[in-house]
Amino acid sequence: MKVLVLNCGSSSVKFQVIETSLEMIEANSDVTVARGLVEKIGLSDSRLSMDTPGRKPYQEIGEILEHRAAVERVLKVLAHPEYGVLKDVKEIEAVGHRVVHGGEKFASSVQITPEVEAMIEECVVLAPLHNPHNLRGIIAARSLLSDVPQFAVFDTAFHQSMPPKAFIYGLPYDLYTHHAIRRYGFHGTSHRYVSLRAAKLLGRKLEEMRIITCHLGNGCSMAAIDRGHSVDTTMGFTPLEGLLMGTRSGDMDAAILPWVMAMEELTLSQLNAMLNKHSGLYGISGVSSDMREIEKAVGSGNHRAQLAFDIFCYRIRKYIGGYAAAMNGIDAVVFTGGIGENSDLVREASTVGLDFLGLDLDPDVNRKAPRGQEMIVSKASSRSAIIIIPTNEERVIARDVVRVLGGVMPSFSVPSNEAPR
Amino acid sequence: MMGRSIATRVSQAGLTVVVLEISTDRAAVVKKILEDDLDHEIERYSLTPSEKKAILTRIIFTKDVERACMCDLLIETINDDFTAKKTILGQVDGILEQGTPIIVNTSTLSITELAQGLTHPERVLGMHFLYPVTTTRVVEIVKGQVTGDEAFETARHFARVLGKVPIEEFESPGFVTTRVMVPMINEAAHVVLEGVATAAQVDLAMKLGYDWRLGPLEWADRAGLHKVLNWLDDLQRETGDQKFRPCPILRKLVRAGYTGARVGKGFFAYDTELNRVDRLPDDTPGLG
Repeated sequence: MKVLVLNCGSSSVKFQVIETSLEMIEANSDVTVARGLVEKIGLSDSRLSMDTPGRKPYQEIGEILEHRAAVERVLKVLAHPEYGVLKDVKEIEAVGHRVVHGGEKFASSVQITPEVEAMIEECVVLAPLHNPHNLRGIIAARSLLSDVPQFAVFDTAFHQSMPPKAFIYGLPYDLYTHHAIRRYGFHGTSHRYVSLRAAKLLGRKLEEMRIITCHLGNGCSMAAIDRGHSVDTTMGFTPLEGLLMGTRSGDMDAAILPWVMAMEELTLSQLNAMLNKHSGLYGISGVSSDMREIEKAVGSGNHRAQLAFDIFCYRIRKYIGGYAAAMNGIDAVVFTGGIGENSDLVREASTVGLDFLGLDLDPDVNRKAPRGQEMIVSKASSRSAIIIIPTNEERVIARDVVRVLGGVMPSFSVPSNEAPR
Repeated sequence: MMGRSIATRVSQAGLTVVVLEISTDRAAVVKKILEDDLDHEIERYSLTPSEKKAILTRIIFTKDVERACMCDLLIETINDDFTAKKTILGQVDGILEQGTPIIVNTSTLSITELAQGLTHPERVLGMHFLYPVTTTRVVEIVKGQVTGDEAFETARHFARVLGKVPIEEFESPGFVTTRVMVPMINEAAHVVLEGVATAAQVDLAMKLGYDWRLGPLEWADRAGLHKVLNWLDDLQRETGDQKFRPCPILRKLVRAGYTGARVGKGFFAYDTELNRVDRLPDDTPGLG
């Protein structure tokens, strides 16, 4: 079946049309029919671009004032007689939406009903920058494709299997019971997909493996996946915690914040921007938030870029060690995301010398790993594997739609893991 | 100053701004100051360099009135001077499309009087932005005697687009914020005049006592003492109420050219970065 996948941000809509089925999932042969992006929604020069395999990229510029108009344009272009990929929008049999935050309410992907929509609305308070736009996409698609079933796939759902000892903070317990402050974790669809692919690539059963997944992109997070269940992850209540990122600080002493606020007389919004937009690789190096630029600067002897690079990789190493202890060992470390898939330097610096954990990188294979391919980069003799798996969150969303329709969508909740109320 | 700050905020909200200046030279000066302001915001973590770039690409400078009048909304931001405002409103009134609202940015002037004699007085309303427009969360929107509902509704929507809470008001001298704030500054100045306490002590008492970001006298220095004096004069003239009679200290400081933070001296002393340099030991930032 053809599934339209929508990922709605504040001023953008990413879309893909994916042909998939339970059989195609099993054979890993789903087909991306088209992918595209609407940018600068709300302005008079909004841009819609679309890539279709084997065809010239399509682009149009015009006024698109809100999400409904954006989705309407997308449907028009998809069914355009000349540039389109569908004879009729009726070929779309389902719509899958990326929803950032499902709170504790969703431990699985679900079909959207009025009740589900109300529950996503309740999660807005947890993700005020993301969920409202996701909801706008849902409302737009429902009004434009009224007979087509809609599905929600949550970034947080996969991590709902974590035990309370991993998700409760050392704060007054009231903050959990009153405000639902806990670790949620993000990038769940990606961690889930690459762990599954890693097991397949190694010809082993996911249910028998302990895997550490490293999603290193614009945002970075790692997850400890014990026999298919996420048991810990680096991002927390928000996507700020854990690893160093392009412009986000990751872990730090929280007491720094009131101190800096008082000394620099910062407002809450300035503090928030400092942590999310002025920190990380960019904040430390002063060079760039982009790892490619950091690596270039390191090459030309920039000390602060070197420091940013070292901190980035050191944190990954620390978490590999921590998660190996959490799971009593590891069978594989997976790298994914823009940096994880493309930076051999990061993969090397993050894993070199970890042979005491059974991780033995093959530097040569690692350096020559071709882009965009699944690849084992550890030595054949390595007890645990180091693997590159290109992530594909849209594909997971399309697949989950098929799984929910086919009644085979697993739930990630572990009832024995509920925290006391 | 206010015009730059408004232009920045509007552009930040993703809208295109056309800034009308009297000459190309003046436009270049204003553009440079605007860029410096944005650099300062970056230092304060309020903006990133790429956000600055995006903001600048959406701000267009012109000296061509007809070009400026091709917009969907016109905001007048020249100084609180009745004649000057009246002149520019008369100029644009004939060029603007009929439905385009005219927003007058003023703290004390009468919207109704400013709208008088225009061909479409119903499209004129007041919007009182508070400085710095990029961070303050509120804007007063003010209905004059003849302001139409359509223009008022547009302004309310515009305020929300800018991420501000609109406070809807009827025309009255000083509206809400200026009318409440200015007598307090005046009273603080009287307390200093009477020798009850020093300016620094008055400010510290109010700041710590009521958990304010700034004391009233430093607030006045930052707004500009000449402006505060102007507001008091306007309020006294409009209302005839003696409580708005300016404290002699204010007049003295303004006459001496000590108009506040921007010139380095008012009630207090400031460096070129506008940081106050004469804070009391108990007034230093910290966890307390």
